[in-house]
Amino acid sequence: MTDGPARSPAPAANSTMRATLSRGIGLFALWIVLMPSAKPADLVVGALAAAGATWVSLRLLPPASGRVRFAALLALLPRFLWQSLLAGIDVARRAFAPRMRLAPGFVTYRTGFPRGQARNNFATITSLMPGSVPVGDGPDTIEFHCLDASQPVVEQMAEEERLLAKALVPGERHG
Amino acid sequence: MSTLVDLFSYVAIGAGAIFFLAGTVGLLRFPDTLTRLHALTKADNLGLGLVVLGLLPHVAGVLPALKLIAIWLLVLLSGADASQLIARAARRGEPRSRPGP
Repeated sequence: MTDGPARSPAPAANSTMRATLSRGIGLFALWIVLMPSAKPADLVVGALAAAGATWVSLRLLPPASGRVRFAALLALLPRFLWQSLLAGIDVARRAFAPRMRLAPGFVTYRTGFPRGQARNNFATITSLMPGSVPVGDGPDTIEFHCLDASQPVVEQMAEEERLLAKALVPGERHG
Repeated sequence: MSTLVDLFSYVAIGAGAIFFLAGTVGLLRFPDTLTRLHALTKADNLGLGLVVLGLLPHVAGVLPALKLIAIWLLVLLSGADASQLIARAARRGEPRSRPGP
């Protein structure tokens, strides 16, 4: 696991600057992908839109609320695609089965992610996994609704959390 | 070669359509709000992913391909977030335990 400069607390101004730059560039790149045009007028509108989006994103999701290591997340992408395939097949099989095998129920999972951005990202990613949707949380728990509560959901979530802990970095400010 | 590519597209888009159908069947057949959410989010995400996969060989250039993938990712993200919001609201509005349907 590579830890880079994130471990040592960088000055707040520095991290805001870095977040502004990386989000601005990312959003402008997204604009170019969605609106492929090299006309100067289009690029100006794109730059303005990206600047506005960056400003909103910094307001709604300040850098102090946590970080995502995109490289680490990208490394987990094949696994998520595979899980997403299993999730779709699982639900399709149940939907088409003449006698639906459903044993829905709630499972409470104890998580190491503090309340905040990292936990929200974790919940969003787990909602794409087979058989579970997050429905609520406590101070250190997440409640999942499961299509089949007899499955080893807690063990599965612990494994996901172990892998995702490398990619989702909680911030010092929660909530 | 192009026949093979076409075949791949037919299979992927056909499979995608089947997953969309599965999501809708689940929406109609599953017993309550939360189980229906499972059906919609998981089956439709996969369905859209397969349709995008099937269309990728037919777009001209890298940018349109990235655009298709970006659309899929945005739908994935908004679907996951919306389903969580609905699930949390449904959970709060529901008694702690209730008899089956």
